[in-house]
Amino acid sequence: MGWFFGSGKKSADTMWDSMSSVSRMVDRFRHDGEAVSPRRQAGVVYRDDDGIPFLTSLSEHLDGILYDGPSATKTGWEIKDDDHGMRWAVLNDGNFDDLLSSVFTVSNAIKMNGGGQNLLAAVFEFDFANHAVDRRALAGSGFVHAYLIYRFDRNAFYPFIPTGENAGERDRETERALGTAIRSEGLKTEGAMTEWLGLWGIPF
Amino acid sequence: MEMNSPQMVRKLKRDPGIVSRMYLTMLLIGVLYGVFGYVMLRLGIPLAFVGLIVLGLAIFQYFMSERLVMMSTGAKEVSEEDAANLHGMIRDLADRYGMPMPKVAIIESAMPNAFATGRNPENALVAVTTGILRRLTRRELRAVLGHELAHVANRDMKVLAISNFFVTLTSFLMTMFFFNMLFGRRDSGGGAGPFMIAYLVTILVYFLGKLLVLALTRYREYGADHTGAEISGDPGGLADALEKIAMGMDYIPDEDLRRLQPAQAFLFAPAVRGFAANMFSTHPPIEERIARLRDLEAEMRYGYRN
Repeated sequence: MGWFFGSGKKSADTMWDSMSSVSRMVDRFRHDGEAVSPRRQAGVVYRDDDGIPFLTSLSEHLDGILYDGPSATKTGWEIKDDDHGMRWAVLNDGNFDDLLSSVFTVSNAIKMNGGGQNLLAAVFEFDFANHAVDRRALAGSGFVHAYLIYRFDRNAFYPFIPTGENAGERDRETERALGTAIRSEGLKTEGAMTEWLGLWGIPF
Repeated sequence: MEMNSPQMVRKLKRDPGIVSRMYLTMLLIGVLYGVFGYVMLRLGIPLAFVGLIVLGLAIFQYFMSERLVMMSTGAKEVSEEDAANLHGMIRDLADRYGMPMPKVAIIESAMPNAFATGRNPENALVAVTTGILRRLTRRELRAVLGHELAHVANRDMKVLAISNFFVTLTSFLMTMFFFNMLFGRRDSGGGAGPFMIAYLVTILVYFLGKLLVLALTRYREYGADHTGAEISGDPGGLADALEKIAMGMDYIPDEDLRRLQPAQAFLFAPAVRGFAANMFSTHPPIEERIARLRDLEAEMRYGYRN
């Protein structure tokens, strides 16, 4: 079968290249004098599966994955369920590069243990200055709270700004503007907006 | 303003297949109506009177086309002061190709679209909706405007006015024959034979003519993509605009990511499009136009085409 946009067989390098572009993006925004602050929590959402023992017992592995070895961090973790029958590994770290590294480590461990197809998305949370989203906005006139969703099957990010709890409630106009801004600051951004699927009720 | 020869423009190779099919279609239209006129003449149907009426209408429409189109679409002409960016972009493109500056209009509508009209380059109008101004980047908009100017440069309004003239004529005759059959004399005896034949021939010619004109507009559309690529020098920008608007690539969905089934997550909706759907369409399939534009982009960048 010929995949249109590539299959789940991507190497960890490709996944890291795309995922880590979020750190580069933060640096470039700041270099341009734009206020962009990541929040301290991020999540990896996946479909639990009785056929994959590593996934069902993920909580027994997380301490080992996160705190042993050369890429050990002080990232806190928690497993949560959402209203859609999905499971989240919620990670907590005040140092954004450590948070990003932990998100990657957890995702890669799931993938290496047969759960690659069960990975849906990694979700980061940000506050963007209005001026960073749209350069025509007046500087210092407030912030936009937005999620950046990395979809594993598309290997790319997109912005998500829910305006309510129900599916479909989102601020499309700001998402569009933010999409342009983050792409121009080097984030690997999903080009087809039809793939910018939402995640309402993020449990962190 | 006189037409200068385009100097800054990079000429692109034409697709001989498309060009020859376009000329064949134009030839077939000519032959079809030539034969039609001859058959009508032999059947003793007086065409001159109806022909004059339709011709009068067509000429009226031809010279009024700008104003008629502006009225029916709600396009408002904008001055250089009202829309400096848009004016500047169009003037730059027109200069590049050595064309006179057309009139510029804006339509208050969220639907993203653009059109060109006018009987010749000296009397042309380019209109865009507010929706397209909002949704396209500068680069994409410039490429779309190049495509519209190409319709003007290729004199597509004239070509289509002429080919549509015959379609209008046959549809007029069809209606006349139909009412004649309903309310005409029934006891005419020998007169009914040629009359029935004329009616059936007109129906046939109407549908054949319509299909040929539709085919012609599709070839002119490819032609405008091609000439537009020369005008803007940016076929990739037009491909991006088509993907964004016609393929709906910039539609942000209502759906939740978690509703995707694992296998579906990788599938791209297959483009199902039959031959019949194409035959009755005024525009060629978007996928085909995008593919050709991407080829032109490669030719421009690397000097060859796949």
